[in-house]
Amino acid sequence: MQSGDLKLVLPLAALFAVFFIAPLCVLVVMSLSTDAEMHRLTVAHYVKFFTDAFNYSILWNTIVLGVKATLLCLLFGYPIAWVCSRAKSRWQAVLLFLVILPIMTSVVVRTFSWIVILGRQGVLNQIAMGLGLTSEPLRLLFTEFGVVIVLAQVQMPLMVLPILTVMSKTDPNLADASRALGAGEWRTLWKVTLPLSLPGVIAGCILTYSASVTAFVTQTLIGGARLVYMPLHIYQQAIGANNWPFAAAISIIFMFAVLIVVYLLNLLTQVTPAAAKS
Amino acid sequence: MTNRISRRHLLGAGAALGAASFLPVSGFAQGKHLVAATFPGTWNEAHRQYLAPAFTKRTGASVTQSILLGNDQLSRLIAAKGGKPPFDVALFDRPQVLDAAKQGLIAEYPVAKSANYKDLLPEFQDKWGPCISMQIIGIGYNPKKIKTPPKSWDALWDPQYKGRVGLTALNSQLGIAFLAEINRLRGGNEGNFEPAFKALRELLPNVGAIGANLGAYATLWQQEQVDIAPYNFNFVQTLKGKDVPVELSIPTTGPVGWTTSMHVVVNAAEPDLAVQYIDTHLDPVVQSAMLKPPYDVIPTNSKVKLEGAITNSIAKSHADLAKIRSFEWEKLNPQRGALIERFNREIKL
Repeated sequence: MQSGDLKLVLPLAALFAVFFIAPLCVLVVMSLSTDAEMHRLTVAHYVKFFTDAFNYSILWNTIVLGVKATLLCLLFGYPIAWVCSRAKSRWQAVLLFLVILPIMTSVVVRTFSWIVILGRQGVLNQIAMGLGLTSEPLRLLFTEFGVVIVLAQVQMPLMVLPILTVMSKTDPNLADASRALGAGEWRTLWKVTLPLSLPGVIAGCILTYSASVTAFVTQTLIGGARLVYMPLHIYQQAIGANNWPFAAAISIIFMFAVLIVVYLLNLLTQVTPAAAKS
Repeated sequence: MTNRISRRHLLGAGAALGAASFLPVSGFAQGKHLVAATFPGTWNEAHRQYLAPAFTKRTGASVTQSILLGNDQLSRLIAAKGGKPPFDVALFDRPQVLDAAKQGLIAEYPVAKSANYKDLLPEFQDKWGPCISMQIIGIGYNPKKIKTPPKSWDALWDPQYKGRVGLTALNSQLGIAFLAEINRLRGGNEGNFEPAFKALRELLPNVGAIGANLGAYATLWQQEQVDIAPYNFNFVQTLKGKDVPVELSIPTTGPVGWTTSMHVVVNAAEPDLAVQYIDTHLDPVVQSAMLKPPYDVIPTNSKVKLEGAITNSIAKSHADLAKIRSFEWEKLNPQRGALIERFNREIKL
């Protein structure tokens, strides 16, 4: 890197140092303090977290929630990206607009509209009862199932856009060559398109996963207070119980838990070229 | 002629504009400016409609109303401790007053500067700041589904309401107050919450939803997700005003609630204006206006005649108002964290 490049990075680096690194340091110190005034140091909050199975279960449920939402997102997002990348340019613009559309409204609005859809008197239940599929309204809201569905929809653009970017950069001749050599559509998808798009898939998974596990608004509005995930746990400790040091400690633990999963996903990118070659 | 703007000029002008944005607003504005916290929903609407215009008329100063829950206000004051607080006037429920006073975040109220203070009912006078209203809890129910108003908290446990009962998490005042009231009725006290938790565990088959916050809780009623649940008098009045099918029934064990009060924040930028703002809220004219539907803000000034929905079930006279039972927040407050944790542990599917 040349010194000119370094200078260009400086403003952002300074911004990061002041508004991200410094608060993070305060958070670390707070998590190691006996009280919010940060008078004495202690590891008691970490000990408390790691010696209580209840905290584990919240952390585990949050990670599992993120994995489920990411997989669902991938299941629906990949075909959308694939169709999008193969569409004619005019249609591509329309499809792309539809994919980005959800980002243009606030996540609070999107989540509240899901309450209207999933509620007892909601659209889904009205349809199910109208068709005679059920006599009693189904319980969709305040269940993990509901949270996963809403997260998958809310975070969908984060999955589709990276995959689409990688797919549209891929040389279309490779797929043509595969077909010319006798492979069918499915074999081409499985052997050529999918391996080549893996970097996009992994990037999409990282974005979707990180956004899903930290999605305080969606988790609390759709899951209610009975399903406690880490963001709500932190919020309750910080604001409800005024226990800032413990809230800081679980924030740090949560951050590392998310980072580990992101790191593992990142490791996969190193496998990708080999997969593509095969 | 062409005006050429050099890069240096452009950057300089940009920097100057940027720096100007950091100048105190009062330097430009005519008159003074106050920042006052208010709660979301009913409170913010009533304060914007009646309190702000009356304050401006009285002092000539303008006011920005910052919408924050009591606990959020407390957190921000703690974070800003020793520096410039984010607002001059705090609006707290009783438990936060005790925390804020203990931590030195609110100043003693200068009674001598507040003309309306002496007219408050004695129960609503407090050295940390006057009570501006009371919040009462009762049994909220959907009159479309439940034709006879429930008369006892025990109605929530009635098997016919399986899956139809709502609750709110304990980080809301409503949640804690309901827990404490059930605890008292089932023979517990501030040192022993076992009866309340036992009752909640028994209630679980009936519970359809637990709102994570009061906004989500209101949605439960709007979407008719629940038919019966503990609720707050003012929130019910607001929802009724929006044609949501909800009514409040006060159980035969009597109304129970807590006071809501206003406080001058320590190191406030405009302490005198803050007192004037609070005093405006004590003004009988302002309190009478806020008592009208859909706000039905319960008055604390003895010169305000009680009327409307409040007289149906809560208080017909000032004497009734003064008798409304409250909780021992001094004992409850330190346990809040432990109660929230226990609730999360025990009250799940």
